[in-house]
Amino acid sequence: MWQFFLDRQPQFWALAYGHALLVLLAVVIGTVIGVAVAVVVTRQPRLAPVANAISSIGLTLPSFALVGLLLPLTGIGPISALICVTFYAIFPVMRNAVVGLQGVDATLVESARGMGMGQVAVLRKVQLPLAWPVILAGIRVSTQMSIGVAAIAAYVLGPGFGAWIFTGLTQIGGVNAEAYVLIGTLAAVVIALVFDLVLLALGRVTIPKGIRA
Amino acid sequence: MTVTDDPTSSSTSGSGSEISGAEIRLEEVTKTYPGQEVSAVKSLSLTIPAGEIVMFVGPSGCGKTTSLKMINRLIEPTSGTITIGGDDVRSRSADELRRTIGYVIQGGSLFPHMTVAKNIAIVPKMLGWDADRIRQRTDELLELVSLDPARYRDRYPRELSGGQQQRVGVARGLAADPPVILMDEPFGAVDPITRQRLQDELLSIQRELRKTIVCVTHDIDEAIKLGDRILILQEGAEVAQYDAPEAVLASPANDFVADFVGAGSSLKQLSLTRIAELDLSEVPTARVGEPTAEARARAQAAGHDHLIVLDDHDRPTAWPWLRQLKGETIHRGEEDLVNLDHRATLNDALDTMLTSSHGAAVVTGDRDRYLGVVWFDTVTSFMRQQQEALAEEGSGA
Amino acid sequence: MSAEAAAPDAATSDRAGWRDRITAEALIVLFAIPVIVVVGFASYAVYVQTSSTYADDVVVNNALGYGTIVAQTGEHLLLTFVAALLVVAIAVPLGVVLTRPRTRFLAPPVVGVANAGQAAPSVGLIVLAAIWFGFGFWTAVGALTVYAILPVLANTIVGLQGVDRTLVEAGRGLGMSSWSVLLRIELPLALPVIMTGVRTALVLLVGTATLATFIGAGGLGGTLQTGISLLRYPVIVWGAILVALLALLIEWLGRVLELVARPKGV
Repeated sequence: MWQFFLDRQPQFWALAYGHALLVLLAVVIGTVIGVAVAVVVTRQPRLAPVANAISSIGLTLPSFALVGLLLPLTGIGPISALICVTFYAIFPVMRNAVVGLQGVDATLVESARGMGMGQVAVLRKVQLPLAWPVILAGIRVSTQMSIGVAAIAAYVLGPGFGAWIFTGLTQIGGVNAEAYVLIGTLAAVVIALVFDLVLLALGRVTIPKGIRA
Repeated sequence: MTVTDDPTSSSTSGSGSEISGAEIRLEEVTKTYPGQEVSAVKSLSLTIPAGEIVMFVGPSGCGKTTSLKMINRLIEPTSGTITIGGDDVRSRSADELRRTIGYVIQGGSLFPHMTVAKNIAIVPKMLGWDADRIRQRTDELLELVSLDPARYRDRYPRELSGGQQQRVGVARGLAADPPVILMDEPFGAVDPITRQRLQDELLSIQRELRKTIVCVTHDIDEAIKLGDRILILQEGAEVAQYDAPEAVLASPANDFVADFVGAGSSLKQLSLTRIAELDLSEVPTARVGEPTAEARARAQAAGHDHLIVLDDHDRPTAWPWLRQLKGETIHRGEEDLVNLDHRATLNDALDTMLTSSHGAAVVTGDRDRYLGVVWFDTVTSFMRQQQEALAEEGSGA
Repeated sequence: MSAEAAAPDAATSDRAGWRDRITAEALIVLFAIPVIVVVGFASYAVYVQTSSTYADDVVVNNALGYGTIVAQTGEHLLLTFVAALLVVAIAVPLGVVLTRPRTRFLAPPVVGVANAGQAAPSVGLIVLAAIWFGFGFWTAVGALTVYAILPVLANTIVGLQGVDRTLVEAGRGLGMSSWSVLLRIELPLALPVIMTGVRTALVLLVGTATLATFIGAGGLGGTLQTGISLLRYPVIVWGAILVALLALLIEWLGRVLELVARPKGV
């Protein structure tokens, strides 16, 4: 298996790059959308349960089904894969951002307004920093999930280690099938762990000392 | 201790006031937690007489709770012997032992997913009582802790107030009629007025049942009020003093006790003197359902502008001014009348009066039966006499 | 309304009522899903009855016929429920063991392994299982079970840890054995949290079971796979919609289970 790996190193790194990039893009876009929706929802608290219900229902959708639904719209290839992965990346961030922003003490917001901060300043300087640990936890969940979804999206030729897993599947019985699938799966786990460590480190750096758990 | 002063002791049925408790002895009991050099409890020896309330009191970390929990083996002693009624607590399994010892915890610690009745029935069920007997016992206990069984039996704990939860906790501890009851800060989680009522009720129940009650508290006033004896513990559960409350107040054994009991022991006297020692005043009463006109006439004939409403069980329910009486017949009244048990202390009486519009408090005996009324002036003049008596004693010596 | 009508006893004996026990979010999900599912299945039926594509194309006809869909739905549900039962049978006792004082120290490594397992792509696990244990139903069930253990395990541990320690001590103090405290106090009080884990696991399972078709274990993923490999858009779209509807139905079922399993008074 080691030999198998050495023989395909260039391809391996290409897949790793593709997988990681797909997940990174999806999580960044998903975070922006999720937080944006949550900010709107915080202005209209009545919408919070609706947003959470949409998160719940959205996460119910099997990823393989979404892959299928996207095919007629965006065809085979990385764009479909990106849309698909992003879709799932939105919800955990959105849910946590709603919870986190609603959890910010109303008296703090009021006192910030009292000091003359505008709505945007309050959001930037008070609400988002205080909700950030919860949002970051959501981003970690999104990232984990995105790595798995990205593997499935490879079925419609998305980038990443899903390609090796499906290659292994078509070659079952052949000499290399196990190596393809095992290395593909383990590599995805490693990417997941690396991403998680990076996010943990990001938390260390970005969560204000005063509210660190 | 003051049974002779007790105006209702003759009226309680004879069988009820027989001692049903058992003596507890601790001999050289030591508890050392693994990995700690200093023992939490060091060689504690103690006899708790049958039928008495003994209060374990001391600063936090003095080992009072550890000592209590060793009696029902929630904590196993490192060495030493504990006996209840002469039997070593280790002579049977811990679970069996605990089913024969009542256990009452702060806040009641009721199981939130079980109804009031189910909570109370836990120990009887484990002891294999049949359903009829359990139901009967549950209702009896709810009556005993002043909760209407029909109303509260099927409620869940979160539908009760803190004080009501604590009452159910006491009922649960009494369920299988155990000779010994252990209480761990039983009234720590309720507000002061509720706490005082619960304390009064406990005293009233104890007058009927005469269990052996061991109660841990950090509140010296509670210890003085409830205890037949007080055990004051220093660090390592070293006995600083073990005596009747009067003796602890009058002659503290050492500086630690004196500090702990605190200054102003004449004020503490307020928590030693019971309402029962004062003269109660008569106030006209009326029954729920009685024609209003008759009751009004009776009160006016006696020269009063108010009356106390009693229900079928002689329990006071309201204390209206005559001008507040409305309707053809007397009704219960809406607000919750705060009563004082006749074993309540003068301290409690003053607290209660502050919230009463009459400047007085309604005093009740066993099972909340109406006894009379105590006026603010009565309390203050009694205190003045006491003070003068103390001063005379002082100048005489 | 159906929830309230189904349990009039609960509503009358519990003064706090349903409103307090159910979140607005759960309410929306509980009402929205049946509407979506009914509309979805009705549209599918209308499509099968009326569309000319369906009538003309043999491939579409075969893949989306009632016979195929019903059979695949049955397989899909069987995969989901068998795996869910196994998950509960493994994860709940394991969670109990990992919260007992003597064995508590094992919790961090076990949860760590379960976490790492969750990080593995589901499709990788399923294909690996097929390589090691052969194609078929039980291989798929095994892979699904492994994949869905974490939510139930984690929630069992969190739920049990969340039980107020004084209640446990109160139980012991009243003379209940540790076993009886576990069964009558700890597990009932932890049940709401455990059931949330079960719901998460169910949704995870019904989604992942769409991949079972890759290793010959059937399920509604089959229609999708057929559609994609033969590039028939109606088959792809309807296959995806039907899978999604089934998943929604399972989510709904999980929500209902969560409500029903909640002990009164909590």
